[in-house]
Amino acid sequence: MGLVSAQSVNAASIYAGEAKAAAVCSQCHGIRTPSADAPFPPLAGRDADYLKSALKQYRDKTRKSDIMNAIAGSLSDDDINNVAMYYGRLKP
Amino acid sequence: MNTIKKHLPKSVLIGLAAIILPFGAQATSDTSKNTHQLYEDNCASCHGSDYGGFIAPGLNSDSLKGRSPTALRSLIMTGSFDTLMPPFFGRLSDDDIRGLVKHLQTTPKQTNPAWTIDDIKASIKVYVKDESTLPAKPTYAINSMDDVIGVAARGKYGRGSGSKAVFINSVTHKQIGEIPTGTAAHIIDYNPANPRWAYVKTDTAEIFKVDLYSMQAVRSVKTGFNGPGLGVSRDGKYIMAGSYVPHNAVILDADTLEPLKTFELEGIDPDGKMVSSDSGMIIGTPFADIFAIALENAGQVWVVDLKEGFPVTKIENVGRHLHDAFLSHGGSKLMVASYDDSIVTAIDLKDRKIIKKLEAGCVPHVGGGSVVEVDGRTLGFGTNFGDCDKMVVSVWDLDKMEVVKQVPVSGGTESPAAHANAPYVAVDIISKDRRARTIQLIDKKSLEVVKTLDVGGHAYFPEYSADGKFLYVSAGYSGDEVVVYDSKSLEKVASVQMESPAGIFSHGRVRYMTRGLSPDEMKGAK
Repeated sequence: MGLVSAQSVNAASIYAGEAKAAAVCSQCHGIRTPSADAPFPPLAGRDADYLKSALKQYRDKTRKSDIMNAIAGSLSDDDINNVAMYYGRLKP
Repeated sequence: MNTIKKHLPKSVLIGLAAIILPFGAQATSDTSKNTHQLYEDNCASCHGSDYGGFIAPGLNSDSLKGRSPTALRSLIMTGSFDTLMPPFFGRLSDDDIRGLVKHLQTTPKQTNPAWTIDDIKASIKVYVKDESTLPAKPTYAINSMDDVIGVAARGKYGRGSGSKAVFINSVTHKQIGEIPTGTAAHIIDYNPANPRWAYVKTDTAEIFKVDLYSMQAVRSVKTGFNGPGLGVSRDGKYIMAGSYVPHNAVILDADTLEPLKTFELEGIDPDGKMVSSDSGMIIGTPFADIFAIALENAGQVWVVDLKEGFPVTKIENVGRHLHDAFLSHGGSKLMVASYDDSIVTAIDLKDRKIIKKLEAGCVPHVGGGSVVEVDGRTLGFGTNFGDCDKMVVSVWDLDKMEVVKQVPVSGGTESPAAHANAPYVAVDIISKDRRARTIQLIDKKSLEVVKTLDVGGHAYFPEYSADGKFLYVSAGYSGDEVVVYDSKSLEKVASVQMESPAGIFSHGRVRYMTRGLSPDEMKGAK
């Protein structure tokens, strides 16, 4: 019972992560790969914990980037967890 | 007006200025010229070479009046979510972006630049000199050329290495070739007389003549600056292309791409005003040796006879702001969408007269339309942007020319797909939220939505394979794949990766004329 609900929570957050990724991150980073012409790093398959800490650093501006500081600033803790989980599990 | 030619002496002047004027003045002139070039190289393919808008809004001193330069700068940096507008952060320097914003907010919409028949002629590029060296058969395994499906991949930035026409075998769902197009591919049309030739038109109005057997471009021509209009005549001898910038259309030799005649698009609109007009749809028909072309702003449809001198018959008062169209009844009837009065006008191409104006939801965009034969009736399906309160797909009886039903759907729609062997008419929901991920399926018999597919990305431009067994959908921007479904079970069966795919064009279209008809009915109707 506990396992089942844990799984469905997980599934829900990955789905939410997918939606957020499609709406926000993929604009630059793509889903699996960024555009061949884009100067942005791919995110698919990156370590989820790394993605989380990077996004939080961008959000609190301890890591500087004009564009990422602005975009991460709009993400909640849940958004960050969901997006990191989604990209982390995606095969590049 | 001749902006291109006018710019030439100007650049000579700037060259002189560099010698004569002190440093500061020279920098200003150079900056303005460079910023214009920056606009042409990065923005114009979508926003229009004349700054007046094309598939994206116009960017000029009028349309951007009162907009915050800071907000515009960040919009260019990040792109606009839920649209095709890509992020230019990292591609353009911050100085360039700031310069662009200033340039756009002080530059009026340009007058119609000239692109004459001589410019068109001079733009022809030949990639394969001797076409007799091309292979006599496809160089890949395929049962029938009808099984070729072409996808117009825009590329993230509407240009660059991601911009290409991608061809897929719609039986195996494997890519069989791709043609780099430099800027976003928009329309793919096929030669009805010879299955080896395809024509790909880009958002910057280049047309590539493509040899599908060897999967390479053999020639290209630039017919204008922007504009998607493209048609091929039934005998495969002529192509007609139309532009938004400038306001003209041209008939080309389908073989050599040599321009034969240009047409200035202007006329009296339904409100009695003489206007210069964008080119809307251009269509060849199996019914006759003619092209039909919609003059968007003039509200006229012109019928051009493919004979000596290419004479034109003008049909006036078709509607306010025409756009696209589809054929029915062996190609003798043309259904033309009119944005501003939300109608589809039926035109008889035999008598060259309006038959009737039919209600068509809200801002109809029929996107190639669909016609299906159900229970003895010929039903036409029309999508519409649905920017007002009506979110419906219109169904018309094309024999009686009357509205049968307005089928409620979940949002605005852009393109209906149908096939004689598939049970559903597929429409793409384009409303800019989660609905944009979806395709809705309307049962041909009950005329109700029976299923919604969550495709992901910005799902649009559904298309059936020539055998009707598979439904192809572009997962568009933020999806970057074409997704393939079984047309009956609606199970996902394959995915083909590419950058920002948009329009999907089955080679089967040359046999069934309008999607949903069967080749047999076509023969019967003739």
